[in-house]
Amino acid sequence: MNMNQTRRDFLRLSAAGVMATSLSGWMNVLAGRAAESGVKPRKSCVLLWMDGGPSHKDTFDLKPGTDNGGEFKPINTSVSGIQISEHFPKLARLMDHGAILRGMSTSEGAHARAKYNMHTGYREGQGGLVYPSIGSIVAAELGDPKFALPNFVSIGARSYGSGFLGPRYQPLTIANAARGVENLKAAVDEQQFNDRIGLLEEMEAGFYKDYKAGSIEAHQTTYHRAVDLMKSKEIKAFDLSQEPEKVRAEYGSDPFGQSCLLARRLLDVGVRFVEVSLGGWDTHQDNFERVKTLSAKVDPGMSALISDLKSRGMLDDTLIIWMGEFGRTPKINSKGAKPGRDHYPKAWSTVMFGGGIKGGQVIGKTDKEGATVEERKISTIDFMATVCSILGIDSNKVNQTPIGRPIHIVDKGAKVVKELLG
Amino acid sequence: MSRSYLWIPATLCALVAVSYASAAEKSRAPVKNEAPSISKQIDTAIEKRLADEKLTASPLADDAEFLRRVYLDITGIIPTPEKAAAFLDDKDPAKRSKLIDELLASPAYGRHMADIWTEMMVPRSSDNRRLQSEPLTSWLEEQFNKNRPWNETARDILMASGKQDENGAVTFYLANPTVDKMTDQTSKLFLGLQLQCAQCHNHPFTTWKQDDYWGMAAFFFKVQPDNIKKANKDDASPGVSETNKQGGKTKLPDSAKKLPPKFLLAEEAKLKPSEPYRPALAAWVTSADNPYFARAMVNRMWGQYFGRGLVQPIDDMHDGNAPSHPELLGDLTIDFGTGFDLKGLIRGICNSETYQRSTKTTEGNESDDHLCSHQNIKPLTPEELYDSLMQVVGKQARPQDKNNTRKGGPNPLSRVGFVTFFRGDDDNPDMIEYQAGIPQVLRLMNAELLNRGGELLARANRATDDGKAIEVLYLGTVSRRPTAEEAKRLQEYVGKHDKKNAYSDILWALMNSSEFALSR
Repeated sequence: MNMNQTRRDFLRLSAAGVMATSLSGWMNVLAGRAAESGVKPRKSCVLLWMDGGPSHKDTFDLKPGTDNGGEFKPINTSVSGIQISEHFPKLARLMDHGAILRGMSTSEGAHARAKYNMHTGYREGQGGLVYPSIGSIVAAELGDPKFALPNFVSIGARSYGSGFLGPRYQPLTIANAARGVENLKAAVDEQQFNDRIGLLEEMEAGFYKDYKAGSIEAHQTTYHRAVDLMKSKEIKAFDLSQEPEKVRAEYGSDPFGQSCLLARRLLDVGVRFVEVSLGGWDTHQDNFERVKTLSAKVDPGMSALISDLKSRGMLDDTLIIWMGEFGRTPKINSKGAKPGRDHYPKAWSTVMFGGGIKGGQVIGKTDKEGATVEERKISTIDFMATVCSILGIDSNKVNQTPIGRPIHIVDKGAKVVKELLG
Repeated sequence: MSRSYLWIPATLCALVAVSYASAAEKSRAPVKNEAPSISKQIDTAIEKRLADEKLTASPLADDAEFLRRVYLDITGIIPTPEKAAAFLDDKDPAKRSKLIDELLASPAYGRHMADIWTEMMVPRSSDNRRLQSEPLTSWLEEQFNKNRPWNETARDILMASGKQDENGAVTFYLANPTVDKMTDQTSKLFLGLQLQCAQCHNHPFTTWKQDDYWGMAAFFFKVQPDNIKKANKDDASPGVSETNKQGGKTKLPDSAKKLPPKFLLAEEAKLKPSEPYRPALAAWVTSADNPYFARAMVNRMWGQYFGRGLVQPIDDMHDGNAPSHPELLGDLTIDFGTGFDLKGLIRGICNSETYQRSTKTTEGNESDDHLCSHQNIKPLTPEELYDSLMQVVGKQARPQDKNNTRKGGPNPLSRVGFVTFFRGDDDNPDMIEYQAGIPQVLRLMNAELLNRGGELLARANRATDDGKAIEVLYLGTVSRRPTAEEAKRLQEYVGKHDKKNAYSDILWALMNSSEFALSR
């Protein structure tokens, strides 16, 4: 029997609702049991993706008083002993909920490969596969399969997709938070739309009966999901105009800030993973001006998100990750008219807030130039395994590719950063 | 079946004769029925293997299946309802073969091939956002429609110099402006080899070493593509030249090694530093003796028509990746290498029973995915989907829609915008996998452009009765007539609803059906 067909068929048939009756009945029972036994609610994750590779020495690992320390001054935070860039004043006040990982040390220095690596935990082309990004993994592991919205939403740039996990876990991509999901409204009234769907269902049943191919199932799955989305009450989450003006202002008028607000609304209705991207961090030239501008967008958006989640009692169950694909050179280059920093994966920083982590700490230490990691090196897979641990995902779990190859969620040899776990 | 080259117009015979003369040991005089045709070679090899594996072949596709499939595969668009009806009603036993000839002779063939090749030659990167790809597509369209021998077209691409507005082929270098990209693309597209791993280290599962990579890359060291951003700012057409300065402003990756130009796994080119390097490379790549060139194209064309190459992935034809039918690949390679006649190869493929098999599986062959016991269902590519949808709603793409460099991204209503939106991330999407996600499907269902009626709906509204209206809607979308059961059911539907809405509802369902979006 061809493994390929069997596994794919099963997934797609169940996704398309062909096996719905038995499976859905079972899931309701499970959910009911979970609620009764007081099992903790599932966690969610927001990835604030800083595209281009933010300079660690000008954001979260400042080296004041050194030759290449740069133009920014560090400021104190709500945690004594931790200092961050002066351009994150609001984040500084929330530091007790956050952890800075200054020991990131990875091996990819080219954008495409590094982005892929940090999104999937694997190297591009490794073993000839397309790996699922962390968003798709979280959607698959923690998402409710009957949820009307996709469990992975990407706001801003297109994220990395579901790879061999299949179209079910592809992200819903929203280019612009203000515009929301395009084409969500039917072109005709509800009754006529329902009539049309009815006709389509009949045609589909006939066609599938004759041909039974995986691509037909995939088409039908996607249509079912799209229609579910259109009819769901959850789509109200995309309507930012429902938020009071005061709240919108707090997040910042920049698209990034509004995207963070949209992320919060999506978390409100139960989306498991939201990725919000902010590009422009590839500061080979004019590093300081650009990082200052970008920081000014991150600060209000990210802090409003953290504070908002905290006041809603959701912060402990929502992990917020701030990261890019690598850091930037400790030495300032003088290539162009304005000073810059270049790619640097050997030592850099990521930041985490919420998710039940032990906040108020710095993990890892770089040397006085920020060039090498002196304490607590964290590789890509260490990082991924840690994220999985925080979210309650078994990083050793094996997924099968369509041809039956077993692939662990995180590659072997990863060491979880236990200091983070609450 | 007669040899394909008998159909080449007289003007090309001279060219064909020249390339024959240069491949003396493989030349054959054009003689009818001298050796098994391509179609026969294919069917014999495929059937033998199926017999060996005791697999039953599915029956031949019915006329409707064949019709829509061959229209999409050769011209990239579904037939109009008239063409569909004409073919279905034709009683000529040779109608399939005649349709193949008709489609190969139509300008849509060249456009379709040009679309496919432009997509491969111009990677979607942030730099290429600023690059016009239409000059390349137009140039390719011309070469394919003239059925220029493939080795000549490939040679012109590799040797391309000059300004883009005068020589669209230079777009290849403008779109791949660094030495490593040129090397990777040349290997993939013309040699069927994924050399890129060997850029930084010896290839994990082939014999290629890093030196082999940089020996090939050396041929490109003098190629100077203009900076697109600057050319746009100066309102000039960007160009490509080959200078004598090695590398010039082109930054070499850290892994770069400066080695003398050397043909892959073969001898050094022994070129003087003052002479251009590309001619030697182009000559080697496209020579009758090159072990990779003809084979790569045969495999690629096979993949285009069957959904899966004889070697899979299509452009990963290294020693450790065995073809499913090695002798057949060898025979087709020899055929193709004699004259590099693309239309001849396609004609041979499409006239084979193997190509014309149904996609419906039969007992025991459901799990076969590489022995061709049945054909493969292929989702329409974004270009095919757009063009077919536009034919249904009756909209012609305006010339300015072909401009993909509009600030802020292409106009989403344009062909380029639609294709970009539907492409997804994968630069090498599997031909059999369905790629669309929720945003794409929402657009198909709810976009104004696809809901405003149009050509086909107008024809249905003009039909004399419901039956004829439903029939034209089917013919114009899924290229067949409804079955008796379908017709009955839909007439019931029309009876119960406002007629004006009913027809548009049926059309909407057809446009959003899997049967529309897939080629069966």
